[in-house]
Amino acid sequence: MTWTIIVLLAVGVASLRLLGMYGGTALVRRFPMFERLGSLIPAAVVSAVIAQLTFASGKSLTIDARSAGVAVAAILIWRRSPIIVVILAAATTTALLRL
Amino acid sequence: MSEARISARPEWGTLIGICLTFFAIGVTVNVLVYEHVGSAVKTIAAAGIVLSATSELAYIAVRDVGGSVLAALIAGWVVASRFGLLAASLGTRIKVGHFQRSCAALNCLDPNVGVAMQQTTPSGVMSAFWWVTGALHLGWWCGTFAGVFLGNIIGDANRLGLDAVFPALLLAIIANLLRQRPGFVAAIVGGGLCAALLPVAPAGTPIILSLTGAVVALRVPESQAAKP
Repeated sequence: MTWTIIVLLAVGVASLRLLGMYGGTALVRRFPMFERLGSLIPAAVVSAVIAQLTFASGKSLTIDARSAGVAVAAILIWRRSPIIVVILAAATTTALLRL
Repeated sequence: MSEARISARPEWGTLIGICLTFFAIGVTVNVLVYEHVGSAVKTIAAAGIVLSATSELAYIAVRDVGGSVLAALIAGWVVASRFGLLAASLGTRIKVGHFQRSCAALNCLDPNVGVAMQQTTPSGVMSAFWWVTGALHLGWWCGTFAGVFLGNIIGDANRLGLDAVFPALLLAIIANLLRQRPGFVAAIVGGGLCAALLPVAPAGTPIILSLTGAVVALRVPESQAAKP
């Protein structure tokens, strides 16, 4: 990640925040559907990132120690465990399966 | 300080919980970012000026599988789109000048907007927002420095299973969205589509195409609760 990338990422994210504050407020008041769509985008896109990080091995899909660690994390999240417990369980499960 | 401002301060337990959560997120994310970036200064700068763990992680995720810089940047921006919506929601509830409004926009994250929106008056909304913002910044910055320090001494993060922490952390971040049926449907469609396209589509594009999940989920009624 170069300095240019860091700046581009930061400018994009900041622009979205400012655009939301100054342009989005009026848009959301007029078209409530945009608020709903905006709340659904993170679920869809972050899940895609999760799927890639959990199952991708280059261009193929695999189920391995990392997938097991994420599965344990998913169960703990479902049971509303604290985030620190989730993180430690995911790392420990994966590390132990790799021994 | 007015009575409205005093009463709008969230409970100390809430603030400490948010601070500790962001400390944990800061440590974990920045161990991973440091491993990818290889520079403490860049890791800390990215943590400060991007102020979005999910954007940084999405960028790295796309680059790690060979995606182009542009695809990775788009993925990073797309996952940050929710901050725009959070800012839009906050903007409907506050009555402040452009400077404070812009500062608030640049600090919009899930917990501070979430807590602020529970207040009843515009000054209460702003007060709660800044209290929570202070707590999460304290946790995030302490976590960032701790993460960079740990990243420096850990070496191979995968040996310690930290490659599983990355998706687990993201899952924890969107957990509340998944407990509602539309969010659950968006996640299943978006994640499923990405997994299906990974072996055949150019790197990075499956994540961008996962936006389809949000569009599909628009058709799901909000009133029904998801089965966890």
